[in-house]
Amino acid sequence: MTDSAPIVAFDGIAQQYKRLRVLNGITLDIDRGDFAVIYGPPATGKSVLMRILVGLEEPTAGRVMLRGFDATKIPAAARNIGYVPQSFALYPHLSVHDNIGYPLSLAGMSAHDAEPIVRHAAEMLRITEHLEKRPDQLSGGQKQRVAIARGIAKQTDLFVLDDPLAGLDFKLREQLVEDLRGLQADTKATFLYTTSDVVEAMTLADTLSVLDGGRIVESGSPERLYQRPGNLRSMHLVGFPPANFLPASLVGQAGALRCRTSLFEVPVDVTGPLVGDVVVGLRPEHVRLSPGVGGNGRSRAGDGVSMPAQVLLREDLGGEEIVYLGINGQSLTAVDRHQLPAGELPEATVTVDPADLLVFSAANGELIGHGQGKADRATGERHA
Amino acid sequence: MPEIRVERLLKSFGSLHAVDNVTFEFPDASVTCLLGPSGCGKTTLMRMVAGLEHPTSGDIFFGDRRVTDLPPRKREIGMVFQYPVVYKGLSVRDNIELPLKSEKLAATERKQRANEVIELLGLGPSADKDPSKLDNGTRQKVAVAREVARQPQIILFDEPITNVDATAKLQLKRAFKELTKRLNQTIVYVTHDQTEAMTLADRIALMRDGKIVQCDAPRELYSEPADRFGGWFLGNPGMNFFAAELASADGAWQLRSPLLPGPTPVDGTNLRPGPVTLGIRPEQVRVTTRRSAEAVPGTLLRKSIQIGGQYLLVLMAEGLGDQTLKAKVTPEAGLLLPDAGDVWIRLPHDRVFLFGEDGGALAARVGTVHDKVPA
Repeated sequence: MTDSAPIVAFDGIAQQYKRLRVLNGITLDIDRGDFAVIYGPPATGKSVLMRILVGLEEPTAGRVMLRGFDATKIPAAARNIGYVPQSFALYPHLSVHDNIGYPLSLAGMSAHDAEPIVRHAAEMLRITEHLEKRPDQLSGGQKQRVAIARGIAKQTDLFVLDDPLAGLDFKLREQLVEDLRGLQADTKATFLYTTSDVVEAMTLADTLSVLDGGRIVESGSPERLYQRPGNLRSMHLVGFPPANFLPASLVGQAGALRCRTSLFEVPVDVTGPLVGDVVVGLRPEHVRLSPGVGGNGRSRAGDGVSMPAQVLLREDLGGEEIVYLGINGQSLTAVDRHQLPAGELPEATVTVDPADLLVFSAANGELIGHGQGKADRATGERHA
Repeated sequence: MPEIRVERLLKSFGSLHAVDNVTFEFPDASVTCLLGPSGCGKTTLMRMVAGLEHPTSGDIFFGDRRVTDLPPRKREIGMVFQYPVVYKGLSVRDNIELPLKSEKLAATERKQRANEVIELLGLGPSADKDPSKLDNGTRQKVAVAREVARQPQIILFDEPITNVDATAKLQLKRAFKELTKRLNQTIVYVTHDQTEAMTLADRIALMRDGKIVQCDAPRELYSEPADRFGGWFLGNPGMNFFAAELASADGAWQLRSPLLPGPTPVDGTNLRPGPVTLGIRPEQVRVTTRRSAEAVPGTLLRKSIQIGGQYLLVLMAEGLGDQTLKAKVTPEAGLLLPDAGDVWIRLPHDRVFLFGEDGGALAARVGTVHDKVPA
């Protein structure tokens, strides 16, 4: 074992329950000191993977390497992982204090030795004033804090938090997300965290791994996955509101290749086969809106393309709006930071800079190129 | 259509005042959202308007009519609940027509009303189906359609889209907007979801601890919070708050804060020297790597991508202690910033709010020179 080895390495983990295959060959390293987030839609096997890591389930195939050693057959109690399960239950007859200290006493630690650890965990989660209360005297958010405190009241270098904020209202989540980042900074331990909320995932993660269809779709910094997704699936899953996708086809020839969608036709740079079906991805913030109606979906070399759109719904999030649009039966989502005038707005003009478009293969979803935009907005730099 | 007035309305459970002496008017022909965190009393207030709870004291009027002691069915209101109430074994159309039968409407009138709401809510393709064959979102549309078809003067909605999936939520929001554009009922809509309230309401009544703390049009409520609670509760993330100091110098007011490069003039009434709270929304904070006279030096601790590719910045500045400042900047501005390191932080003066010790907004304007804010 060396310190440079990843603290956790999933090596071809598969899990199958009778005919149901949940995990389909997960290979992923978690680096020491990282805040690593595994994000995916609900019911994609995130919890199963965490249960395999902490030792509550044995995988059908593959190995779990822990601190450089094969831990696949090591019992849960010997893995020394702080664990906050997705559905937690507090002991109703024990005080908050004793709930937090319970795993420590179970591990044979004396009350005297456990005391400072319990106190410290309670302090970090800001529940010190509730230590003598029983769980039924607490609000939902406070209970969740107790469960997290119980998971982190452990002297270890690895904490696993399985969607710990699920079901809380978003003001509480806002606070706890900040607390959790602070917690990791304080403990300097490795945090492995799962969630099905993409904004939560992007806010917390140093490294974001997208789990979907039993596999890791892509792994990297949230910014890299967002700005330069390697495939269509990760562009779809990473980002809120979800990106727009338009079926398209490549026309023309090398050097003057164009991409044709039902809304517009723009010049593109593509590697690989230069004909056939593709999918164009467009982030909502790149669907630029202006009041009034104009445009015809054509662009001159390097200019933006404009077209009229019907405004179906404006959702006001306070700091920004999500605007749902319809253009000739094609729906499009835009994000606007209150540049549009308030009030009734049945129609607007959509402008798209071709440089903001990503081009994916329709066959396998791989990123194969991007649109060509204005010369001063070189894509290499923008997407680096 | 009548307005709804509640006067000195109180509902106590033991020593807890769930609704604490509220006097308020829900204007006619408009949508008022009762918004607040769980336990703020919004549902209890609505249930008293509906007649499902009896107030401890106080009165409820629909127009000139006192309804405080009337049972729910005599109040002639429509209600849509969190979980859709639909009758299985009856088609969607029959579900909608059923309550109309007890009102002894002529068959043609009944059919016409049903057709109208079916069209209005886009229920055409489901009209002959049994509700048990429909998803939760469509079932909730049926429940809405049935209440609307009765044409009550008042309709109450209790978190009607909380329990449907994201796609159905959008559909229901659209349907609700279309509906309220064409109807002129008095509508009370209860929700804990700020986006829902901001999107659907003509006016939002923000509740906390059994009281209505502010009532305004959505954008006004957001940009002019009457107290710290409104600044914090609305927004994602909510407003930043920091201790600051108000002083008078040569007969003029000055604000001192570690986030302002120097004493900054303040114009206002009923001000007193001493500690105040400075509030600023994250999306109003400007952060660049370029030095400027209006900015203070700070340290960018973290940046992360948020809704619509915006960047959330967590910042430190001298004098703030261990408190951090949050900024939410455009995708373009965020891309230009390093992952961490030295930056310059500027608070546009006209976006700075001051709150007194009780948390209420002070009648004060920061900065006398008009601040030109680059996008």
